[in-house]
Amino acid sequence: MLVTNINVIGANLFHSPLRGTIDMVMLFQLIAVAFACSVTLIIGKHIRVEILVTKLPQCVQAITASIISLLTLGLFVLIIWRLCVLGYSFQTGGETTATAHIPIYPFAYGVAFASIPVCLVILHEFLSSLARVIKR
Amino acid sequence: MSPVTTGIIGIGVLIIMFLLRMPIAFAMALVGFAGFAYLSTPGAALGLLARDIFEQFSSYPLSVIPMFILMGSFAFAVGISRRLYDTAYTWVGQLRGGLTIATVLACAGFGAICGSSTATAATMGKIALPEMKRYNYDDTLATGTVAAAGTLGILIPPSTVLIVFGILTEESIGKLFIAGVFPGLLLSLLFALTVYFICLRNPTLGPSGAPTSWRKKAVALTGIIETLALFALAIGGLFAGLFSPTMAGAVGAAGALIIGLARRKLTWQTFFEAAKDGLQTSCMVLFILAGATVFGHFMAISRIPFELAEWLEGLPLPTMGIVGIIVFIFFIGGFFMDAMAMIVLLIPIFYPVLTALNVDLIWFGVIVVLVGEMGVITPPVGVNVFVIKGIAPDIPIEKIFKGIFPFLYALIICTIILMAFPQIATFLPGFASY
Repeated sequence: MLVTNINVIGANLFHSPLRGTIDMVMLFQLIAVAFACSVTLIIGKHIRVEILVTKLPQCVQAITASIISLLTLGLFVLIIWRLCVLGYSFQTGGETTATAHIPIYPFAYGVAFASIPVCLVILHEFLSSLARVIKR
Repeated sequence: MSPVTTGIIGIGVLIIMFLLRMPIAFAMALVGFAGFAYLSTPGAALGLLARDIFEQFSSYPLSVIPMFILMGSFAFAVGISRRLYDTAYTWVGQLRGGLTIATVLACAGFGAICGSSTATAATMGKIALPEMKRYNYDDTLATGTVAAAGTLGILIPPSTVLIVFGILTEESIGKLFIAGVFPGLLLSLLFALTVYFICLRNPTLGPSGAPTSWRKKAVALTGIIETLALFALAIGGLFAGLFSPTMAGAVGAAGALIIGLARRKLTWQTFFEAAKDGLQTSCMVLFILAGATVFGHFMAISRIPFELAEWLEGLPLPTMGIVGIIVFIFFIGGFFMDAMAMIVLLIPIFYPVLTALNVDLIWFGVIVVLVGEMGVITPPVGVNVFVIKGIAPDIPIEKIFKGIFPFLYALIICTIILMAFPQIATFLPGFASY
């Protein structure tokens, strides 16, 4: 927001836009969103459909929660792995942003790193629901 | 197995994942990845998964979403919503159901600086529900009004749903925003009339408040100056071609902060809380879009959208009849999905049909938002109703759902009017330069 406003003021008042604004906005957004994901997951802000599961018996709820957590964990493990591969390809290919020429590969590794807490949150959800299944 | 059959099975699996409470974003990414891997190669799907997520998170066109979400969060944090409500109440409080009409008007006003229906419902619910309780308003009417009027947040610009629609269909976000103005005003009027007639038939549901003098009314108008200024700055700048959508959102968010500073309502704590809330909501929306992109690639390779387009085009129906069928599918989808999820899932499927039929996508975007509004207040997945239940935990959810039905009729009437007179939505975009 700050970068965009500096650019707006610079471009409109001083005819001197901030160089690389688009690159900076893109990269800030990437990092901010990636690192916010685990907290968003913890506070339950990701939209879920609640109509069916809440009507099922507690035991069935725990079993479905375990399966879903396991599938989600698998998805995020794949995401982390492939983001590292993507980061490596950016690194070896020397890919940079279009105008400010900022190297992109640290950001791909950064998003992969930010996904590790997401995996931990999902793993915790999986273990909790598994414990609920075993208790019953 | 043919690609189309695989695609249909994929949609079925996706619905099962939704019903098993998997977050919508993750379900779309997982099913999209698995389906793409089956129809092409696992290697190609693995490459697609990481690249889609990376590209969506770092997409400059999508940066408009966090900017407008931040603008709404900051506007709430610095008390603009409270002042809007006070102004509306001073003007219409003495009417039957005055507090509920004031809630509708305040929601419309807050919708002009906030692009989310849940945020509008939550914001106004926190302010209006205790007031209505104090004046012995009927719980069903009070909660139903806030849940329904909150949906104005995604119709009156700015609108996160219209932004996402614009990105998915490559339509101008500025034109989509401006197209929502007249329909938003029409719907606000229909909601206010709905409340008025309900209270005219049964005055005990919404007793009138104390009358206020014209002098007091005139003074109260200062409460909407900030909203008008923010709207003129962000949406006006966008409409005039001064700003890109991202710039408009950023300028609006900065404007809300400056208002907070000028009014001495902005502290470090409110700033961080609002920024944190805005970031989390943005994360949720961008993840849905990333998941939808992966799923969209699967749908494209399955050829379902193209087969569906050919089938619908071949139907012996006029264009409006086919559009009616599509709108009906969105309406049914709205029962089970949030407006945002519905749009990211269904638009890629129906986009080829709509373009083949030469449907005005700006107009269709407004229609889809109206249908999405019905979805966020109807059972079983009425997100706004759940938000209101969170604010008023003592009121049974069935009561809130009962309260939204008169407003559902208003929404249906508004949709029919817009289908009969598309000019209501398409008139203003003709003047937009961005």
